[in-house]
Amino acid sequence: MIRLEHVTKKYGDVIAVNDFSLEVSRGEVCVLIGPSGCGKTTTLRMINRLIEPTSGRIFVNGDDISQIKPERLRQSIGYAIQSVGLFPHMTVAANIAVVPELLGWRKERIARRTEELLRLVGLNPKEYAGKYVSQLSGGEAQRIGVARALAADPPLLLMDEPFGAVDPLTRQRLQTQFVRIQQELKKTIILVTHDLDEAIRMADRIAIMQAGRLVQYDTPEVILSKPANKFVLDFVGTDRALKRLSRIGIGKFVKPAPSVKADASIREVMLAIGGCHSVWVLDEDDRPIGWIDAASIHKEATVGELIVRGDTDEISVVNYATLRDALSRMLGLGFKCIPVVDERKRFIGEITLGDVEAATVEVEENHA
Amino acid sequence: MTIRQRFTYDSVAITGSIIGLLSIPLGWLTLKPNRLAAGTSLTMWESFGAEGTAIITALWLVCLGLSLFGKKRWHVISLGIVLNLIFIITFVLAGANASRLLANEASFARVSLSAGIWITSLGAYISIFSCRQGLGNSLAWQNLISWSGLAILAILLGVGWLNNLSVVTEFIEQEARFRQELANHVVLFTSSVVAGALLGIPLGMWATRSRHAEKPIFFIANILQTVPSLALFGLLIAPLSALSFAFPALREWGIRGIGTAPAIIALVLYSLLPIVRNTYVGLTQLDPAIIDAGLGMGMNRSQVFRRIELPLSAPLVLEGLRTASVQAVGNATVAALIGAGGLGWFIFQGIGQAANDVVILGALPIIGLALVVDTTMRLVVKVATPKGMRVR
Repeated sequence: MIRLEHVTKKYGDVIAVNDFSLEVSRGEVCVLIGPSGCGKTTTLRMINRLIEPTSGRIFVNGDDISQIKPERLRQSIGYAIQSVGLFPHMTVAANIAVVPELLGWRKERIARRTEELLRLVGLNPKEYAGKYVSQLSGGEAQRIGVARALAADPPLLLMDEPFGAVDPLTRQRLQTQFVRIQQELKKTIILVTHDLDEAIRMADRIAIMQAGRLVQYDTPEVILSKPANKFVLDFVGTDRALKRLSRIGIGKFVKPAPSVKADASIREVMLAIGGCHSVWVLDEDDRPIGWIDAASIHKEATVGELIVRGDTDEISVVNYATLRDALSRMLGLGFKCIPVVDERKRFIGEITLGDVEAATVEVEENHA
Repeated sequence: MTIRQRFTYDSVAITGSIIGLLSIPLGWLTLKPNRLAAGTSLTMWESFGAEGTAIITALWLVCLGLSLFGKKRWHVISLGIVLNLIFIITFVLAGANASRLLANEASFARVSLSAGIWITSLGAYISIFSCRQGLGNSLAWQNLISWSGLAILAILLGVGWLNNLSVVTEFIEQEARFRQELANHVVLFTSSVVAGALLGIPLGMWATRSRHAEKPIFFIANILQTVPSLALFGLLIAPLSALSFAFPALREWGIRGIGTAPAIIALVLYSLLPIVRNTYVGLTQLDPAIIDAGLGMGMNRSQVFRRIELPLSAPLVLEGLRTASVQAVGNATVAALIGAGGLGWFIFQGIGQAANDVVILGALPIIGLALVVDTTMRLVVKVATPKGMRVR
């Protein structure tokens, strides 16, 4: 899909990108990462000819891009940047419609597409289409930025820290949402970031750059288990094993666990707990609100006295979280297991420390 | 809450009312044996009689009371109404009493407005300004209170009620000249602002595109702004008369050392700095990410300019034009000194003859003109501001 051949960019005597070659297959997410000033953004901007290389060639779909008119090329490539760059004098709908309009789409088609995209990024079209940028939160603006990049359904997307300008929590949500959208759309994406966790979470392949050169280009698993040199090793850090866990979703490790409603009788609790150490207590909406230890149960006690209460968000993990999230949550709380909830915070089962351990061993074996 | 309400007062309106009350012991009308003589200043009592004095004093006391006790809606509205009444009654009485005073005098005698009337008007409009702010939620009341006094004054002028006041007499005697100089003034400032925009906007754009151009452009524009206007007019006399002497054909275009051409050239040079500066700021304040996004999505340079840079910088560029226009209305006054005419002609004529009423005949319309230009341009700026940037 995309091939960079010996691309070099010099600014006077300064070499920003040095003999850089890379190939990205169709439908893959390639993350360019490295310390600031390593040339990753320059590389990205050469692909849509916002910057012209000093030497070397770049091919998109087998065509040499230097032979394509820059405007035509850019209209065929989605582009999302860190500061979003939404146009403040246009509504959300008009912002999304920019490229389709440049391509001369008919009005009805643009309107349909805008609505579709707003739904895709999880915003209500009726509510958001007419809003202006000044009325959006940072996270909403970044989602619109992504929707705008996807507007003309380009097969290729260039993203420069697309989730850079929001708080860590929102960023994680946007990343998760984006991974899901990508599973559906299967675009070819080149994404620039300096955040290793983001790279590991989103990339099919990671390209690590140092001083304008490509140091290692491989899947996140290989990068984490077999760093090519000292630079990569230092860059990925000493918690590589832990980072690998953030590649694995907890979905397949969730298993059923005993639970009771908060208004259950002591008999029901004893029945539910069976041979287990504890039972999760749910409110009327099935949200975990605490647990009861098997050891604390005795006939005279009431259920209300026995519940160890906790906040749903703190004592549970959501089902699209990673093993790393689950592990850090369990360690933080001192739990050997933790309830898993769906997006609407409803209890669906639990995940145990043992499962995480088993998964780690499995990952080690696969890449040993 | 009730305690707070009892102690809210309107400090600006209080200031206005105190100014109004202080105007009462001053002279209100001046009776002069002829238009150039010093004349005798008459107190309010002598000018308006006992009833007039009582009414105006009482109304000012009501204003002070209203502005001291409360900022409730009905307070503000009744304060505004009383202030307009003061303004209207003052001029009704001034017109009537001018006629009364002149009835016993020789035909050369004149009656002029004195400090008391000017200061009462000033106090009234300071308080009216405060009422206007207080009625921010009701455009109808706001406009009614701001404009009704002035509208009635215009009617009084129109029906000839004020014809015996010296300023109006001067106007009637020189009406043709007044119209001509008013037209001159309008031509002077509009043509110089239009030319300033045609020159300044491209210069401002050039300054944003080229680093080499930026420094000299601002250097020159800044220097021009600091030269006193009279000096700039004077400085242009020598080169322009040399030019017209060398190329007599130019004289047919009005290019001479004195007259309209040098005046407009000087006014254009003055208008450059605000226009160039605002164009430059308007374009450079744009978030570079917005331009980058536009280019990155496949707009060409002219599409980026038309769809992004132009609409987003228009409000600031027009704001620069507003500053330049208001400034040009004022500066055009001085143009009278180099024979370009304009309302300044009356001011300098009046100063020369020590005829204050002639000075006022020139000065008041200039102030009015500046206010009208300012209001109009503010409206233009508002209309040109894209909707997304008005929502906050």
